[in-house]
Amino acid sequence: MSDRPRLTACLAWLALALATAPAWAQVRDWPSERPPQPLAAREVRFPPYEVKTLSNGLRVVAVTHHEQPAVSLRLIIGAGGAHDPAHKPGLANLVALLLDQGTKTRSARQIARAIDDIGGAMGVGAGTDLTFINAVVMKDSFDLVLDLVSDVARNPAFAAEEIERQRQQVVSSLQVSYEDPDYIAGVVFDRLVYGFHPYGRPSAGTPDSIARLSRDDLIAFHGRFFAPNNAILAVVGDVTPAEAFAGVERAFGAWPRRDLELPVFEEPPPPTRRVVVIDRPGAVQTEIRVGHIGVARKHPDYMALNMAMKILGGEGANRLQRVLRSERGLTYGASADLETLKQGGDFMAETDTRSETTGESLRVVVDEYWRLRRERVNRAELEGAQNYLAGSFPLTIETPSAIALQVLNALFYGLDLQELQTFPERVRAVTPGDIQRVAEEYLKPDRLAIVLVGDADTFVSQLRGAGFDKFERVPLSELDLNAADLRRRAAAPQPPPVPANAAATRTMVRPISQTAPQSGDDRQARALIKRAIEAKGGFEKLRWIKTIRATSTTTVMGPQGPITVETITSVAYPDRFRVEGELPNGRFVQVYAGGQAWIVDPNGVRDAPSAMYNDLRAGMQRETVRLLLDAYDGTTKVRALADATSGEGTRQPSLEITLANGQVVTLRLDAESALIASLHFTAPGPAGRRSTLDESFADYRAVDGVQVAFAARATRDGAVVQERVTTNVEINATLDPALFTKPAK
Amino acid sequence: MTRAARCLIALALVAIVVTATSRVVGAWIRPPKLNYTIKTLANGLTVVLLEDHSTPIVHLQLWYHVGSRDERAGRTGFAHLFEHMMFQGSKNVDPEQHPSLISGVGGQSNASTTEDATVYWETVPAQYLPLVLWLEADRMASLRIDDRTFRREREVVKEERRMRVENQPYGRLSEIIYDHAFTAHPYKHPTIGSMADLEAASIDDVRDFYRTYYVPTNACVVLVGDFDTAEALAMVEQYLGRVPKPAKAVPRDIPPEPPQSREKRVTIEETWPLPAVVVAYHITYDGHPDSYPLHIASKVLSDGQSSRIYQKLVYESRIALAAFGQGNLIEDPNLFYAVAIVQPGRTPEEAERALVAEFERLKAEPISDDELLRTKNQFARDYILMRESNQGKASQLAHAVVIHKGDVTTADGEFEIFANITKDDVQRVAKTYFTPQNRIVLTVMPKGAAAPGGTVPKAAR
Repeated sequence: MSDRPRLTACLAWLALALATAPAWAQVRDWPSERPPQPLAAREVRFPPYEVKTLSNGLRVVAVTHHEQPAVSLRLIIGAGGAHDPAHKPGLANLVALLLDQGTKTRSARQIARAIDDIGGAMGVGAGTDLTFINAVVMKDSFDLVLDLVSDVARNPAFAAEEIERQRQQVVSSLQVSYEDPDYIAGVVFDRLVYGFHPYGRPSAGTPDSIARLSRDDLIAFHGRFFAPNNAILAVVGDVTPAEAFAGVERAFGAWPRRDLELPVFEEPPPPTRRVVVIDRPGAVQTEIRVGHIGVARKHPDYMALNMAMKILGGEGANRLQRVLRSERGLTYGASADLETLKQGGDFMAETDTRSETTGESLRVVVDEYWRLRRERVNRAELEGAQNYLAGSFPLTIETPSAIALQVLNALFYGLDLQELQTFPERVRAVTPGDIQRVAEEYLKPDRLAIVLVGDADTFVSQLRGAGFDKFERVPLSELDLNAADLRRRAAAPQPPPVPANAAATRTMVRPISQTAPQSGDDRQARALIKRAIEAKGGFEKLRWIKTIRATSTTTVMGPQGPITVETITSVAYPDRFRVEGELPNGRFVQVYAGGQAWIVDPNGVRDAPSAMYNDLRAGMQRETVRLLLDAYDGTTKVRALADATSGEGTRQPSLEITLANGQVVTLRLDAESALIASLHFTAPGPAGRRSTLDESFADYRAVDGVQVAFAARATRDGAVVQERVTTNVEINATLDPALFTKPAK
Repeated sequence: MTRAARCLIALALVAIVVTATSRVVGAWIRPPKLNYTIKTLANGLTVVLLEDHSTPIVHLQLWYHVGSRDERAGRTGFAHLFEHMMFQGSKNVDPEQHPSLISGVGGQSNASTTEDATVYWETVPAQYLPLVLWLEADRMASLRIDDRTFRREREVVKEERRMRVENQPYGRLSEIIYDHAFTAHPYKHPTIGSMADLEAASIDDVRDFYRTYYVPTNACVVLVGDFDTAEALAMVEQYLGRVPKPAKAVPRDIPPEPPQSREKRVTIEETWPLPAVVVAYHITYDGHPDSYPLHIASKVLSDGQSSRIYQKLVYESRIALAAFGQGNLIEDPNLFYAVAIVQPGRTPEEAERALVAEFERLKAEPISDDELLRTKNQFARDYILMRESNQGKASQLAHAVVIHKGDVTTADGEFEIFANITKDDVQRVAKTYFTPQNRIVLTVMPKGAAAPGGTVPKAAR
């Protein structure tokens, strides 16, 4: 039907021409109008609460709320992960998990039955500065829950069997957490910002540290920190203050006060610029964290700094969200926060984005930190953030739990309780001048700690372009939070795994996939690489190479015999290359460009199928200049092998290089010249078997001081599949970026 | 505080479904009834109002009765993508201005898409009630739909999918189970949709979707907070009453799932650190008489540390790092599933046997009197705690109207139903639904040595 398509196309064009720019859907006569004015404002008062201190030092907060017949308790103890001994991270967390797993008079099962039978719920846990026990019940079980919480806080049994059970839980949970990029980004960020300060430790611990905790450790921690004069208890819900205090006195009054000395931590380290990439090959998104050391909760500039971070990435302003999400669609969410603890704090911006846009997103975040410091915020933006914070005051006091949390917070951090009511006024008192002052004084965008967790191969090339040429790269499998360079030492002891039902204490290993090289091998391998680099032209020369353009005659073994093609190969380091030529059936082009790959042939343009994509990408990494430099820089692992023997019987020093994607490549060097004689690897082949591929190089000639092989041959499983004779090589010729840009159709 | 969640998809597996109620044996523990007013406007919009003067705020929840259930194969993820579009402006509101207008008055707003409904909500200081009504009316009537914002929101949704589903361990678990459990019904596909379908969506699809489903006859608005009912109702009429009634009825032609005749077993590999086992059964829908004893069964299995699955699999035998079972009771028949994440050194076969044994036990013998009492008390607690906030109350009311086919009285009434459930009821529904031919067993194994260092200690036995 030749007419119909044209008619439809014509109508479509007409509709488009008539439509005004945005297409309002539906209602034709919907009026144009402004938002309506608000009703009269209501007065908002912080709801009533009472605070009392028992004679044993326990501070008690009572918030009454009779609407629903429920009561909840929240007990906080002033010790958490930060109070773990330096070499025993995870202790506070394990103590917390064991609190409700048995006391001197009740087994774990009995505690579970007691709380469940009455329809209640209980939770325990540890944070950085504190440990908490929460419970909620129907009001007729108020006395029972007071007794339970008191028992659990004061008399944990730390039974051996329960310790093993919880230890296994923590270790297994960590195994899952280690695959969660969000978790990894958080713990690495803390380590970068706080160094070896107590706030930098992972509060859940590490598999190694958890394995080493003993019953004595748990008892010692509990004994040292769990005391009424180091605790605050909130009672919230359908009880009067009188009932609340009487009940607490009954259940907690006999808890003896003890002399405590809470440690005062040393100052956290000053901010230092550091960029760490944690490599998770295959990840589709990169988690990004950017920030540095900040201030403690009680700091006099808290309010102004809080507002500054809200402008950067909080509700009511959120520059990061606006650029990263609304303008560029790079992320689902971006935010920034002033994180404060009792003895320190940090500034943190976070977002996540697909691997290919990592460099761009990171650049935006860092630029926004600079902008906040450099430019005075405009009044409208500050007002937006103030309107949100001040305006949301009534929302923060809706539920009795929310009210109690605010009071608990104020007591815990030693803040003035009067400030609970004056919050909106204090928010509105901040001026753009205040923001300017604190931004200049406290923000150091030249000394940011940056963590990127994702598929490094896809984005590391972008980092240099985005201004971050110095960075550390750690494969996730080698992450060690206890090491200064975040990398597990090869010689570290590896204890055996914890069996599921062992009562005896055993230690835990974290699985690794490859044996670490011996240090002797390392030195020899590096020496060989160094020789190979020098033979090829030297460090300066090799690093000077930005582009290569080579014309060659390539003979490929096709299904009907050899085919000879003139090819042009263009390489733009570190991650783009292009091969093109004329085959009998037409022109073809293959391009790999920083994470994307496509082919062009007489049928048009299409994305490279994933097997080819993987090949092309791997090919980029096997490119010899890059192979040598990456090996020397340590971004790939190198191991010396026993000497190989060439076809002519000569000795060839050999090296094994493991690329980031796990592929293993063997290099053989000419014993005299140290030039690369051949390169070997395996790849998926036909019928699911792996094939052995060998590339050998000859006829080295100097081009601008770089030794280039003008002859090459490739074999698969011993059979020749390709021979190449190079006719011309240009180094650092200007390459048109269009060569690496995917055509539109 | 992490990033402000722009929208939430209640993934069936990971959402903690706090549903209705039960009565405690002690008759004095009864939550007070919700003293609401309900009305249908001339244009078909259902309105529910509940006064709460304890704090000077108001919460508005607007449910459109459209979800991933209404999507066809090849166009999955639509309802959720559309939810994003609803924030991109309308005749009198610029793109993205909605959330900034709300936060500018100190309010909070968000939205979520489930299989059955798309929910938009705002909580604001009470004096801003006219503003939120006006905003919802403007976008119900005159949503701005243009190509550039559509393309950009589509990218944002793809990032969301990457973040929630593809970049985390076990992110895809729910998607995998449902894909295998369902053949015809749209519950087969995930609410967030697939990357391919998101790419294939066109702007005309979006406009069509809007005209069909975003109409007052397909919507219910609930207001809970500090207002006077008569005045608030007048404002609702003033703003939302203007949206015209649609000419056509809302289509609801959803292919039913044919009964499963044989057990399905699936084993797949993913790059997750520990194996996962899921045992699931096809069950009935929310509101069916059998659904209430099934809720009780969920709690018997998994609510609290004395629950059966926790005790057997996590505590005693230590087969699982985490394990739970629950019924996903939603608008159309869905699944009751139990999940176990297997501890290193234990096998998925053990986990499967242990989970199936728990289902068999529910069939073979009635639950104990203690368990019946415990679970009813746990219901009362859930019910009561949910009512502490305006948002919780609004959800209970809206759920009753939209999912229980207009029967708003179930918001309070379910309490009685739960109070009267017997042990025999629970055993009866177990026998009806937990049968081998109704069962799907999914095992997800960690991929061999997929990534360097990604190996898991292999199953020992």
